[in-house]
Amino acid sequence: MSDDLTAVFRVSATVMEPVKYSALREAVEITAKRFPYFNVSLGSGLFWHFLEFNKQPPRILAEEDVPCTSFAVRRKDELLYRIIVRGRKISVEFIHILTDGGGALEYLKSLLYTYLTITGNSIDPADKIMLPGTPLADEEFEDGYNKYFRKLPPPSKMLKVWHLPFRLNKRPRLKVIQSEVYTNEILEKARSYKVSLTEYLISVYMISLQKIYLEEKKRRRQKHHIMRIEVPVNLRRQFPSKTMRNFSLYVLPELDMRLGIYSFDEILRAVHHQLQMSSENKQIARLLSSNVSYEKLFVVRILPLFIKKMAITSIYRGFASRRWTGIVTNLGLITLPGRMQELVDSVEIIPPPPNPNIKVSMGLVSFKDKLKICFCNISQSNELERLILKHLNDEGIRVKILNNK
Amino acid sequence: MNICANCGVELDEGLKNCPLCGKAPGEKINHPDEVGNSPSAIIQLQKKENMRYLWELFGIIAFSGITVCTIVDLLISKGLAWSLYSDISIAAAWIIITLFLFAGKRRLVIIPSLAVTILAALFLIDLITSGQNWFIKVGLPITIAVFAVTALISVLYRDARLKGLNIIAAALFALSGLCILTEIILDSYLFNNVVLRWSLITAVSVLPVALILIFYHYRLKKGNRLDSFFHV
Repeated sequence: MSDDLTAVFRVSATVMEPVKYSALREAVEITAKRFPYFNVSLGSGLFWHFLEFNKQPPRILAEEDVPCTSFAVRRKDELLYRIIVRGRKISVEFIHILTDGGGALEYLKSLLYTYLTITGNSIDPADKIMLPGTPLADEEFEDGYNKYFRKLPPPSKMLKVWHLPFRLNKRPRLKVIQSEVYTNEILEKARSYKVSLTEYLISVYMISLQKIYLEEKKRRRQKHHIMRIEVPVNLRRQFPSKTMRNFSLYVLPELDMRLGIYSFDEILRAVHHQLQMSSENKQIARLLSSNVSYEKLFVVRILPLFIKKMAITSIYRGFASRRWTGIVTNLGLITLPGRMQELVDSVEIIPPPPNPNIKVSMGLVSFKDKLKICFCNISQSNELERLILKHLNDEGIRVKILNNK
Repeated sequence: MNICANCGVELDEGLKNCPLCGKAPGEKINHPDEVGNSPSAIIQLQKKENMRYLWELFGIIAFSGITVCTIVDLLISKGLAWSLYSDISIAAAWIIITLFLFAGKRRLVIIPSLAVTILAALFLIDLITSGQNWFIKVGLPITIAVFAVTALISVLYRDARLKGLNIIAAALFALSGLCILTEIILDSYLFNNVVLRWSLITAVSVLPVALILIFYHYRLKKGNRLDSFFHV
């Protein structure tokens, strides 16, 4: 994969004072011992990549203008996560093969707790944080996908989707826009439509996509007419697992533009019902079965690694991205125990850079009274972000664009 | 408080330099590449390491090739005969690979060094080919001509406002000239008499192609970029 197309995502927390380097170094070393399953580097076998344990703590690096850039995974003993610091902000970047947003958030909470304790704050952690020194549970290591796998018939075939028509940015392609809204304002609006906050924001994303689609349709005939959004789902909420490894799948709400133009109410209803239906345990189990069954096939298992890598790259670039138009990932509401809530100013997420077909992805996270909306864009146009934020503003929700520096 | 002017983090009193950017607390960074400890710095480190591993691998292959050729020659011919040719060629190839791996995109270093390496290899081969004396009359002028043309195209590529099929057309013109020159040098060395045949046929065949490329570039597509035109 190129340096642009990475599967790296970031979760960040901003504390009240400039980060103390030596305290952070100590906190990182302590926290690494509590999460030994993250202290791994990538090895290559004949048939599969494998993860090798090593004892060194992750790197603490300076923040650069472009986040979520690639890792030097071919170096020996190079870990698959790192800590990035600038000013008051502590960020953790993970390669997605190691864990998902849920696992990364647990790590960040534990790191913050340790750092804040070292810097002289007294915090009652309750049981909301994986504390340094507490025993590891076997479930934290488990492969949730395999544990809950059972062979089921695959989901029905999907039509190819319509993609944003924008030209790509020059390298480095990724531009990030962080924006902020008041959680109570947006929640109130979502409740007035009788949908959840995620459903509301997916609908805003969809109606903004629809506007771009209709404009584009006036200019030239469109080949594809399905708009489908990938919405990652944390499976720990559906299956009783404490794993810190990847354990998420996705649901795919969609609109078929061949049926006509949708009003916002229609989109809200479509998104709400599709999300409810596809989040059912049986549907998720079917998706899990379809995703895991490929790696269980004998033919796939005996293919040499370099062939698998070539196949996976083309699948990721072509087949997978033809299945969805955009990505909306919501980490949910973050709550920190006791005084930690006061000692942390804000929390942010940057989803993995979208691929050249998808071009724009959106990440959401709520903390205290603010919801952070992050757009990752590799195209030359900011039209989608503008339409989404304008829609929110038109609905009476105050929007603030943040300075990333 | 001891705050780094670049990273904004607080440093302990004992720390002379910020462990992240590598600069003293008050010292400002002028260019992002100066940041000593950043994700892109680690990627650069990986690239340098990979280059070194590749160089070592080529070194092992070259050393093994030279050893095998020399031993086989010693066993079969009871002396050094043909293996001298292969040894010189392998050593020259290894030097050229080293140049490409470590000189990066510095054309001013690569092109003269490449010319010197090839000339040295040809000179040594001429030395062991007794009585022919072709280096001064054939090897040297043709090699210098090839490198002069390469340098010319390279400068053209660097300075051209529109880099597209016009560069390929220029390369075809240069190739035609080079063919004519080669035939003149070879004819003078072999027959002491110059009669242009194959080089003229080549030049006449290549000329219309170059003209079509120039027409296509400047009139039809108005400066299509080469990388876009050949994008797979």
